[in-house]
Parts: sequence; structure tokens; C-alpha cells
Amino acid sequence: MQANKPENFTQNVTDALAQPDLKMIIRRTTDKAEAKRTDAIANFPEFEKARAQGQKVKDHTIKHMDHYLAEFEKNALAQGTIVHWASTAEEASKIVLDICREHKAKKVTRSKSMLGEEIGLTHAFDNSDIERIETDLAEHIIQLAGDPPSHIIWPAMHRSREDVVKLFREFHSDPTYSEEITDLVRSARRDLRTKFLTSDIGISGSNFLLADSGSSCTVTNEGNAELTITPPKVHIVTAGIEKLVPSMAHAIPLLRLLTRSATGADITQYITFHNGPKRKNDADGPEECHIVLVDNGRTKMLAEGMEEMLRCIRCGACMNHCVVYKHIGGHAYGSVYPGPMGSVLTPHLQSLEVANKQTHACTMNGRCEDVCPVNIPLPKLLRSLRAQSWQKKYEPLTNRFFVKFFGQLAKRPQLFQLFSSCGVIFMKIFSRNGWIKFMPFTSGWTKNRDLIEPETTTFMHQYKKLKNLKVMERKL
Amino acid sequence: MNKHISDMSREKIFNAIKSAKPTITADAKTIEDEALELLKESEFARPQLMSEDATEALMLRIDAGLVIGTTCEKISTLDMLPHSVKQFFDRNSLPAELKVQSVEPLNKLNWQGITTDIDIVNDNTVGLCWAEYGVAETGSFVAHSSPEMPILLNFLPLYLIAIIPKSKILHYMDDYALIANEIAKKKQTPRNMCLISGVSGTTDIEGVLVKGAHGPEVLHIIIVEDE
Repeated sequence: MQANKPENFTQNVTDALAQPDLKMIIRRTTDKAEAKRTDAIANFPEFEKARAQGQKVKDHTIKHMDHYLAEFEKNALAQGTIVHWASTAEEASKIVLDICREHKAKKVTRSKSMLGEEIGLTHAFDNSDIERIETDLAEHIIQLAGDPPSHIIWPAMHRSREDVVKLFREFHSDPTYSEEITDLVRSARRDLRTKFLTSDIGISGSNFLLADSGSSCTVTNEGNAELTITPPKVHIVTAGIEKLVPSMAHAIPLLRLLTRSATGADITQYITFHNGPKRKNDADGPEECHIVLVDNGRTKMLAEGMEEMLRCIRCGACMNHCVVYKHIGGHAYGSVYPGPMGSVLTPHLQSLEVANKQTHACTMNGRCEDVCPVNIPLPKLLRSLRAQSWQKKYEPLTNRFFVKFFGQLAKRPQLFQLFSSCGVIFMKIFSRNGWIKFMPFTSGWTKNRDLIEPETTTFMHQYKKLKNLKVMERKL
Repeated sequence: MNKHISDMSREKIFNAIKSAKPTITADAKTIEDEALELLKESEFARPQLMSEDATEALMLRIDAGLVIGTTCEKISTLDMLPHSVKQFFDRNSLPAELKVQSVEPLNKLNWQGITTDIDIVNDNTVGLCWAEYGVAETGSFVAHSSPEMPILLNFLPLYLIAIIPKSKILHYMDDYALIANEIAKKKQTPRNMCLISGVSGTTDIEGVLVKGAHGPEVLHIIIVEDE
């Protein structure tokens, strides 16, 4: 599957809505995640306090980011980790590839990392002579399918069991002929086992970076991060600079929030703190450890008043609860990060010019903010991006014309009421059985869904009528 | 070349952070005090345990099925461990083969009737490991990498038995963070500190939970009272 581009958002959405099963496939996972999160929060009455604490931890770290980055670097170096810095995605990707080439690596294993996707690491490896092996089951599936991820927690949620059966039969060395999900997972286990043990370099992301120890922390349910990192001679971590927290004690409240918000579990099965290369005489572990600290738009967010977005711990709760995401899925966004958090991040990671349409793909119902474990005001940030998009004249001319026209009308109440009354009459002409299937100037809406028939008169007219009635009642 | 790029990027990143409005330059002591203040909230922002006693809370959590794929038992002395392991083999219809972590308390036990040195790369292996700590809040055990603790022992076998001395069971993850901090002060931080809370699982195909994705499918925790 060819990756969509963010600038083609409208077309991507049209294509997504045309896929008959996509909505059902998305809802199968997101609805379950939503229900499980609700249960997890109900069983954790201290959640709001934890949320407030998590927000404070992130805000404190962001406020003193230079201090904590310097601390992290000092302590990571003391642990024997080699620290690299990258301003851009290209730089980060190049650093990782160069380390692999220096070690003459032929095969690298990689545990799921959204930052790896963000910096284009998967493409960089695919365009090199180094074999990339994704070890997270979902990433393994989409690698075999040639798909981009469609969700940050369940990247292969758009693929059905039947798709997986076909892929595994085609690509696994000892495939299963069963269609049972358990057997499919076993097939992947067999296929990946030797790859884990023969890899030259293991690459991981990091859920948290601990400033006081220079440690990186991975969080998985499969245990593939540890299997990716431990057997090879070299471990490379790629991490965004916003992953910092002061210490392990500060990461713990965020871990409580992360897993409950992501999957509805109280805790994930495997949380590992990695502290540099193996110690003398250690039974296993890599001999060399590198960490690539990546900016790629994060300091720009800090400078542009979007620092609240840097709190994000990548749980995916906002997309699981987003009515737009549930209809169109992740690929339509044309970015590594879909859903509400992606609509705020992508304009900074790429540009607002190419990703401004995503900022409008929001009903402003506020559910994303309600469920965010670190209280990111996503609707506010999206509104701010919409305002920037307007100021930079990225909106289509027709939109600009109609918004300006509306602005003029709204300033003239009588004219506004006249137009509204005419509008109601106009809409009534096209309504059938309570719905409007087609009407001039509204194809953007009616192409994919019907418009509801308006009331007989305008709101203002009804309001006046009601007010008059009340006055009469009082007189009586 | 990369060193040059990296140095330039470092400078660029620090300059950008310093010039950004939300960041505040403060002395290290002020920042540290502020960070410590935040931790005072942890006491009120963590879940209630199922019992005030840490061991009981951990066992209750596992018995309630809240730790995926995990069972638990308590033995009064370490000498009883080989017998418990044999029962585990019987319950799971496994051959009496075990990869025992090479630590003194386990080495000196009588493993008669059990093959104890097998290759953990074999998929059907049963691994036996000595946990550093247990955590009641999450039903976890903690493993530290060391010359005697191959991390892969916790991840390659399909079956895993973890021994936790009762005295090492902590109430909350925060208690473990305090211990990790003390270890760091002594400059003895191990390469890996793993909090393991259940078995390797995935819901990546149609949201259906499957155990034993890459690592253990079955985890049995044995708490030893006399340690």
C-alpha cells in the first residue's frame, strides 16, 4: 500500500470512506479500547489526581528542558552510552544508518517506535543494503504488507485475520495453514525467533528518558523490545527530546497513566530501563549503546506556544475516542501520527501548509481533551492552528470568500436574518423525506452523507416567536 | 562527519530551547526541589492495593486474574522449591527439564530428577529465575541484568518460573524507584532493570489476546517465606 500524503487529505478521506469494511475494522479495535479504558479508570478512583500529577511532571520537565537534557547527556555518557544529537529527521536517520554501516551490519531488528517512523528510518533502511526486521507483531504484519502504520498502538488494525493468513503463508519460512489467531501468532514467533538471535544491531525507541540516570525506558506487551536489544552487539535508541522526565520516580505516575489510557490495562507486561552497554562479565547484552536525541520540530513547538503538545506520551486515547478517526482511520491523515494528536503534530513535523486540512477534521466535541492522560487541550491547539492557517492564507479561496461573506452578514443582523430565511426556503426545495441528498454549493458535505432538513423557520424567528409568547403569558 | 553534525545540532537545540518562552533558566537546586515537590503527590495519585500486606496484595492480584497468564504460590522454605517445580511440570505436561539461573540459592538446591542445564534458545524451555524484587501494585517481579542473570532467560522460554523472596516484595512501583535511586548512588546500576507483569501477549490481530507472542506464555510466581 502506497503511503498517503498529508496534502492530499481530502482525497485520502474520500478513498477511506469508500472502503466498505474499513469503518467496521477500525471500530472493532477502537471501541474495545474505549470500553477497556473506561473500566480501567473506573477502577482507579485516583485517576484525576494521577492525571494532574502527570501533567505537572511533564510541564516541569518542559520548563527546564535545557537543564534536563544536559543532565541526561552527562549521565548517559557516564553509563557508557554514546550520545548523538539530530535537529532534523534526515540527520537522525543518517546517524543511525552510519552507525550500522560502521559496524558492517547486514541485518537490524527494530522494536516499534513512532519516532523511527517519524524520522523515516524504515524507508532509509529499505533504500540501503541493510535488512530491516520489524519485531512488534503489528509492525511485522505491516512490513510484510508494505503498509504504513494506521494507529500508534495498533499499527496493523486495518488488516484483517484473512489478510494476515495470506501474508504469513507467503512470507514465513514455516507458515501455519490454520486460520486461528493463536496459530498465526505462533507462526510469527517461529519466524522471528532466529532473526532476534542473529541480528547485528537492535534499534528501539524510548517511552521515557530518565535525566538523573541517563536511562531509556521501553514499554511493551510482547517483550519484543528486550529481545530486539539484548542479543545484538549494538543497541541504538532513537528518542524525541520531549521524552525526558527527571527520574524513574517521575516516570512511574506517567506509566500508570500510559497503559490505562492506551489499552485499558493497569500496567504493561514489560517495562525495562536500559542503562548503557553491558557491564563487565554480564551474561548478555550489547557491547555498545548509542542514543540519538531528536528535535525535528519540537523546539519550534516550544517557541510557537504549542508546548502543551510536548506533554504527549503517545497513548493513542485521543484517536480511540475521535469520531473522525473512527470513520476514516489512520491512513487518511497521510502522516505517522493520525487522529487529534497527529493533526496538531504533523503541521510542526512537516508544515502547516501541507497539513492544514487535518486541523479542520475535528468536530470540537472535546472528547480527545477529556480522555488525554496529561490534559493536552487538543481542541484549543487545533483552533490555534486553524487561525494560523487563515493568517497564512492556506485556506482555499472559496472558503476564504464564504467566511468573509459570513463575517459581513453576521455584523448586519437584519441582512443576516433575511439571508437565513432565504436559506431555509432554498434548502426546503431540495429536501426529501427529511433529508437533503443534493444541493448546490454543498457537494463537499453531500458527497459522503446527507444533510438534515432544516426547521420550517430560522432559529431567530422561532426565538422571537417564543419570546413574544412569554411576554403574552406574563401579560395574561 | 557525524560528530560535527551532532555537535552543531546540539548547539542549535540548546539555543532554540533557551530562547523559547516557556523554558525558564534556574539553578540546579531550585529545579531539584521543584521536582521533589512533585513526588509528594504520588501518595494520593496511585491505586489502592488489594491488601495492606504487600505479599497478600500481590497474591490476591494474581489470583484475581489481573496479571495476564500468571499463577502464584507461596512456599515456606526454599528447600520446597524443586517439589513445586515438579508440580508445575506435571500441571503443564512438560518434561522435567529446566534452565536454572546460576545463583547461589538455586545452585545449592537438590534438583535430582530434573535436567537443569538446557539451552534456552529451545522454544519449549522452562526458565527459573531469581527475582530481585516483587511489586504488589502491579503483580510484577523485577529482574536485574548481571553476570548471573541473563536477561534473555526471562524472554526466550515459553514457560517461566520466578522466585521472589517475601522480604523483597514492595508495595508500589514508587518504592522500587527509591531502591533504584539508592543503587545508582552506589554506582551499581545494572544495564537492565526489568519490571515483568505477566506473560508476553499481543492483541495485534483483530484485537484478540494471544499469550506467548515472543516470550513466555505461562508465568508462575513462587514466593519464598524464609528469605
